[in-house]
Amino acid sequence: MMQARRFRARVAMAIAVALVGAGLVSEAAAQVRGTIFGPGVRQYPVAVAELKSLAPASGRSELATMFADIVSRDLELSGIFRVVPRSAHIEKADSSGITTGTINFGDWSVIGALALVKGSYHIEGDRVRVEARLFDVFQRRLLVGRNYHGKVANMRRMAHRFADEILAQLTGERGPFDSRIAFASTRAGRFKEIHVMSLDGGDVRQLTFNQTINLSPAWGPDGSLLFTSYQRGNPDLYRMDFQAGSVERVAFGPGLNLGGEYSPDGSRIAYSSEEHGNPDIVLAKPDGTPISRVTDSWAIDVSPSWSPDGKRLAFCSNRAGGPQIYIADLGSGRPQRVTFSGDYNTSPAWSPKGDLIAYVSRVGGRFHIFAVKADGSDARQITSGAGDNEDPSWSPDGRYLVFSSSRTGAKKLFVSDVTGGPAVQLTHGNGDDTSPAWSRWLD
Amino acid sequence: MFKWRLRAATIPVLLSVLLTGCPRTPQDVDSEFGRETGETDVFAEEGVSPGGSLDRFRRGQEGTYQDGADANQGPLRDVYFAYDSFDVSEQMRDQLRANADWLRNNANVRVELEGHCDERGTVEYNLALGAKRARATKEYLVALGISATRLTTISYGEELPVCYDANESCWSKNRRVHFVTRGE
Repeated sequence: MMQARRFRARVAMAIAVALVGAGLVSEAAAQVRGTIFGPGVRQYPVAVAELKSLAPASGRSELATMFADIVSRDLELSGIFRVVPRSAHIEKADSSGITTGTINFGDWSVIGALALVKGSYHIEGDRVRVEARLFDVFQRRLLVGRNYHGKVANMRRMAHRFADEILAQLTGERGPFDSRIAFASTRAGRFKEIHVMSLDGGDVRQLTFNQTINLSPAWGPDGSLLFTSYQRGNPDLYRMDFQAGSVERVAFGPGLNLGGEYSPDGSRIAYSSEEHGNPDIVLAKPDGTPISRVTDSWAIDVSPSWSPDGKRLAFCSNRAGGPQIYIADLGSGRPQRVTFSGDYNTSPAWSPKGDLIAYVSRVGGRFHIFAVKADGSDARQITSGAGDNEDPSWSPDGRYLVFSSSRTGAKKLFVSDVTGGPAVQLTHGNGDDTSPAWSRWLD
Repeated sequence: MFKWRLRAATIPVLLSVLLTGCPRTPQDVDSEFGRETGETDVFAEEGVSPGGSLDRFRRGQEGTYQDGADANQGPLRDVYFAYDSFDVSEQMRDQLRANADWLRNNANVRVELEGHCDERGTVEYNLALGAKRARATKEYLVALGISATRLTTISYGEELPVCYDANESCWSKNRRVHFVTRGE
C-alpha cells in the first residue's frame, strides 16, 4: 500500500516536472518570438558548427568554415543571438552526424547553447549540395531543415538564406540577410563610385568606373539600380540594368536629378528636379517620361521616400525655415509636416512595413538616426554616441537600418535594429562608404 | 597583263581586311552585376566643365588653397554664405557688383555658377542647398543687368570642398558660389 502510494507520488512528480519543463521551453521560445523589439532576450545562445564534408577527398574545406562564418555573423547581426565561440565546441563535425540520433546534445548543452546549427555539404564539379539543420538542444529535436542545390559560387547565398530561415523559425519573421546593399564609396580612389555587396561584406563589387561623383543608389523591384552621376558633367539620373549589363540615362534636366526612388510596384520613380527652377519632387515613368509635379513651393524639396502602398511620399523640405520631414498624399492635399523636434531633419526613409519613417536629425551639433510614426508621433533616437550618422535605409523585413557613420573616423556602414541596440560595423578598409541602399530579398 | 590582273585581285582582298579589321571577342558581361559596357568617354559628351571644380578634382588639383581663399579663382571671385542659408547677404553684394562689372566689360564670357556647402549636414540636402545658392547668385546678377543666358548653375553640395578641416575657418570657405568662366 505504502509502495503504491509512493510510486503514484513519484509518477505525479515526474509528470509535474515534465509539464513544468515543457512550459519553460515554450516560454523561452515565446520570449524570442515576442520580444525582439524589447530589452531582454538579446543574447539567445546558439552554436554554429562547421559543415561536415560528405566527400572529404574533394577538398574545399574552407567552404565548411565559410558557411558557418556567414550564418554566425548573420545571427549576431540580428541582435538576438549570442554565438558560442567555435573554440568551445566539444563535438567535432566530421565525427558526428546531422540527425537527432547522431548528435551528442549533451556536448552542446554543456557549453550553454540553446540552439545548434549543423549541416553537411557535398561538392561535385562546380555544384554543391548543402543540408543545413537547426536543432533545439534542450528538446533534442529538429526545428528547421533545408537542403540546397546549386553552384559552389552561390554557397554564400545559401548560408544567408538559412540564417533568414532561422530567424523565421525563432522570431516569426523571415530574416533580411539574403539581400544586398548598394552604396557609394571612395575605397577605389578619390571618387565616389557605386558599389554593391552582400551582407557578409565578402563580395564587394564596383559598379561604376566614371571617375566623377556618383551618389544615392536606389533599388528597383526587378533588381535594377537608380543612381545620380556627374559623369556627363550635370547631376543626372541613371538606371543600371544588371541583367543586360547596361547603364542608361533616365532624367537629365538642367540642374539636380537627385534621390531617385522607385515606387514599390516599380511603375513610377520619384526624384528631386530643378526643371521648374527650384528643387522640387517630381514623378516620372522609369524611363524618365514626366508624369507630374508633387511639390511646387519656393522651398528646397528633396529626398523622396515612398510609403509601402505607393500612395504617399515622405520628403525633406525647408518651407518652414529649416529642413523638416513632410508627407505628401499623391491623391490630393497639402503636404503634412511630420517632424516637430529639432531644427534640422532630413533624409526620410519609409519602412517597408509602413509603420515607421527613419530620418536624420541634428542633435547638439551631431547627426543621429531617428524614427517616427507616419502620423508624427513617438519619435525615438536610434543612434547615439560619437560621430555623425546619416543615410538610413531599411532592411527588407523592416526591422533593421543600415546607415553611414563617422564614429570610427572615416565613414563606414553600420547596421542597427530599430530598437536602438548596439550598431554593428559592416564595412571596413579604405575610403568613405556612404549612401547605402538595402535591397529587397534576392528571390 | 598578268601584273594588272594580280593587282586587281588583291585590291578587294586588301579592302576587306582593312574594313573588317581583326576579329573581336565579345565583351564578357557578368549577368548578375554588369559593368558599364558601352559608356563613352566623359570628355566626348557634354562634359565636365573645363576649369571647374569637378574638372580640377579629376586632375588632382582640388583643394588648392592660398591666402584664405580658393587659389583657382579668376577675375570673378567667390562669394560666401552663412550656415544653412542661401540668402545673398550685404557682405556678398560688393563682390557680386564687382563681378557684374567685370562681366559687363567682357560681354562674350559665359559663367557657370557652382554652389557649394560645408561638410556638415546631409549629402542630398546639401546638394539642394548648393543649387539654391547658385540660383540666388544668378538672380542677383540678373537683377544687376547681366543677361540670364550667360549664366548657368550647378551644385556640388559638400562633394568638392576647398579645404578639409573640421572647423569654422574651413567651413566658411566651403560655403561658397564659385565662378567658372567659359567661352572667352
